Amino acid sequence: MHTLKLLFALTFSAFLVLSSCKKKEPFIPNPQEIITTVTYTLVPDGGGTSVELIFVDLDGEEGGNAPTITGGTLSANQTYTGSLVLLNESVTPTEDVTEEIQEEDEDHQFFFQSTINDLSVAYTDQDSENNPIGLATTLTTGAEGSGTLTLILKHEPEKLEDGVAGGDPTNAGGETELQIVFPIDVQ
Amino acid sequence: MCSRIEIITLFFVLLSTLGLAQDCQIKLEGLVTDKGTRAPLSFVNVILQELGKGAITDDDGAFVVENICPGHYHLIVSHIGCEPVEVHLDIDRDTILNISLSHTSVSLEGVIVQGKSNDFSNQPNQSIGKQAIEDNSDEHLSGLLKNETGVHLLKNGGGIAKPVVHGMFGNRLTILNNGVPQSGQQWGNDHSPEIDPSAANKITIIKGTSALEYAGGNLGSIVLVESQQIGRDPHLHGRVNYSYETNGRGNNINVQLQKYSSALAWRINGSLKKYGDRKSPSYLLNNTGTEEANLSLQLEKSWKEKTFLELYSSTFNTNLGIMSGSHIGNLTDLEAALSRDVPFNTESEFSNIIEAPKQTVGHHLIKLNAKHYFDDHQSFQFTIAGQLNDRKEFDRRRGGRTNIPALSLQQYAFNSDLKYLKTFKKDLNLKVGIQNTFTDNTNNPETGILPLIPDYNSIETGFFTTLTKSWIKTAVFFGIRYDYERQQVVALSRTVPIQILRYDNKFHNVSGTAGITYDLTKNHSLAFNAGYAMRNPAVNELYSSGLHQGVSGIEEGDVDLKTEKAGKATLEYTAQWGSRFSFGALAYYQRFADYIFLNPQDEVRLTIRGAFPVFKFEQANAAIYGIDMSSKFSIGKALAGQLKYSFIQGDNLSQSIPLVNIPPGSLFGSLTYRLNKPVPIGKINIEDFEFEVNNKFVFKQNHLLPEQDFVLPPGAYTLLGAKASTNVILRKYKLRIFVKVDNLLNTTYRDYLNRQRYFADDLGISATLGINFKF
Repeated sequence: MHTLKLLFALTFSAFLVLSSCKKKEPFIPNPQEIITTVTYTLVPDGGGTSVELIFVDLDGEEGGNAPTITGGTLSANQTYTGSLVLLNESVTPTEDVTEEIQEEDEDHQFFFQSTINDLSVAYTDQDSENNPIGLATTLTTGAEGSGTLTLILKHEPEKLEDGVAGGDPTNAGGETELQIVFPIDVQ
Repeated sequence: MCSRIEIITLFFVLLSTLGLAQDCQIKLEGLVTDKGTRAPLSFVNVILQELGKGAITDDDGAFVVENICPGHYHLIVSHIGCEPVEVHLDIDRDTILNISLSHTSVSLEGVIVQGKSNDFSNQPNQSIGKQAIEDNSDEHLSGLLKNETGVHLLKNGGGIAKPVVHGMFGNRLTILNNGVPQSGQQWGNDHSPEIDPSAANKITIIKGTSALEYAGGNLGSIVLVESQQIGRDPHLHGRVNYSYETNGRGNNINVQLQKYSSALAWRINGSLKKYGDRKSPSYLLNNTGTEEANLSLQLEKSWKEKTFLELYSSTFNTNLGIMSGSHIGNLTDLEAALSRDVPFNTESEFSNIIEAPKQTVGHHLIKLNAKHYFDDHQSFQFTIAGQLNDRKEFDRRRGGRTNIPALSLQQYAFNSDLKYLKTFKKDLNLKVGIQNTFTDNTNNPETGILPLIPDYNSIETGFFTTLTKSWIKTAVFFGIRYDYERQQVVALSRTVPIQILRYDNKFHNVSGTAGITYDLTKNHSLAFNAGYAMRNPAVNELYSSGLHQGVSGIEEGDVDLKTEKAGKATLEYTAQWGSRFSFGALAYYQRFADYIFLNPQDEVRLTIRGAFPVFKFEQANAAIYGIDMSSKFSIGKALAGQLKYSFIQGDNLSQSIPLVNIPPGSLFGSLTYRLNKPVPIGKINIEDFEFEVNNKFVFKQNHLLPEQDFVLPPGAYTLLGAKASTNVILRKYKLRIFVKVDNLLNTTYRDYLNRQRYFADDLGISATLGINFKF
């Protein structure tokens, strides 16, 4: 029975030793992959004031603070040259996500959808397989109205499916990396 | 398939012979009886493998084999529809061998109270034996359990599945691998248990309330995966098992070698599996391949039949692909996926390359177990074990980060366990024990993503006592357990800048259970069990935070969760009418106070990636109840059939709504034809030929509100299957061949508990051919 007592003591002391183990500080990962800031700059053809549609969420998608979304006012019957800039400002130095997308352009495509009649966006850039990307676009307005412009970025879409190259995400599949709704007035 | 048969005791009665037996004139005779009823069993095959001859027991359970030469023999005992048992015998004179088989034909095995072999007295249990494991070498652990009553699978595609027993899974279901509680990331609905079933000889499901002997204290069921003691056979024995499955073009190979000697007995088991894309009836499920490489080593040594030492170590390594079309971002993506007939990213080209999204998991175990019998009435058992669970989950990521895991967790667990058993006079058994588990869970910082569950250390210490007492017709069981758990958690805040939050939780849990079994008549018995248990909230339930990519939702823990309390009662009735028909029914009711569950919130969180559903861990009063029924029958000597039915329902009583993830009812039936006599073809003997047709019907889950899920539960379905197996004996070598076809009619269906149902149909027809060589 001595062995039994010994084992009992051993088990119990193991418990005492282990219970005083404190978990060490965790390493805080550097969230490199998130997008905190999106700016869609629209420059009117033939001069005039540029419009910037801006989304900022510095604490990322899981953070407690809501993002701020800045919409814009566009002129009716006007053509704009659009360009997108994506940043990760949660890390220092700021990371340029636009560059990452350019490097993997075949795996990414932006989509633009508007509730305003006559507002349309056309692609002016192409990836290495001659499919659209959407970092560079042309936005055309028609009659006056107000509504929203939704910007979508898909990772690994099927660019060859029906309507995808024309800017319709319905058949694109893939994973949505961005989906931002900007309020827009056309005056 | 009956795998319930088992030799509980082998009594060797060596008759003082009338002088020494002459050469080759030895007689082996004996009786085969049912252990439970002590009734003689007829039609039991008793065969001396080396001689290829044997006998079938008569109506009195008696058998005689004559004209045996002295020597070493392997005796095979088999009963219709049941798994054969093999024992080694040294025969040098006339021998009487009395064999007692455990309750034969009731699927919910009858109640066995006495005996060292049964640690779970009074508890309804079912088990899957060696033969069934070998004949299903294409299956993972959960797959082996899928046709057992009351067991369902929570799946994520074809390769990832975890068992659900009486509605309990994950944190609420204890899985014991060779006596050690499996430690890993059980909280994940898409995490399979990391155990290689080919190393096991027996898998048992205990469905009662006696989880008491193990930590976890949840009245949930227990799945025991056991690699039994190495048989006392001094020869080198082994098996090579190969199988090929058409769906997924899967190859499985398993090699096992074992040898006993009084100095050291050893067994080594290795297995490799490789599957490519599986197929639904009408399209390929891309990136659903799986790979596995496992090895285990078991060493045993004993001293004077009193002290037994066992060392068991195993390594399990897997790579699991997740269907490309199920990889989505936000709610809009999910809705788009739901509206598709054929999933996104479906390609017609078969591939066996596993790409992201995928899981790479390693699980390594080392265990040392010592048993000592002071005398026939007293023994103790001491076990120490270490485990490492290394889980990495890969997603398709931007900027060349696909090769960096999106989730990377390492968990070390150290268990120690000491038990003391004493049998007093008059069949009174006492068991006491103390257990300790230390767990260290760490997120690898390589991911570049804030972890979903935090780093933590936890210590659990438990004490238990159980008592069983049996009389002629009645047996009672009583047990009590106390657990202390301390969690030391370091979480990361979701603020800018990120802060480290420390939590130190202490919980005290008390559980108790009592049961009684009563034999109404020789062949009818009733068992009633009732228990109460407390389960403290797990770390993931308290502190989960963030996007769970596997379920496309944001999960949030609640630091204020209280301990969950549950009461469970089970009532079981088993009956046997002759050797032709048996029936078992088990009804259970489990009532929870503060049941912890993931509740979908009305809120949809708007992020830069669009909208995500939010799930929070909440508590409510709940009830889970159901019934498992099974019956077996035989028609003539060659036909045997079985029918099984399970029904289960879960209710959130606080909100008067159904619980989610509760399996729908199911019905299973099979008919087996068996050739009882060996068929000699030249020098070859064809033995134990069996052909089975089976059918499984799964009801639609109607007990759910439309707003509780993204899509209505899928409809009812029927799956037809068939299988055939036979032994081919050539001298002392044994070859077993089996063929089986699952989903024979190539039925298109989706299963409520398979998450892949949002995206794709379940598996189509699949045929498996297996060859098992034994020596």
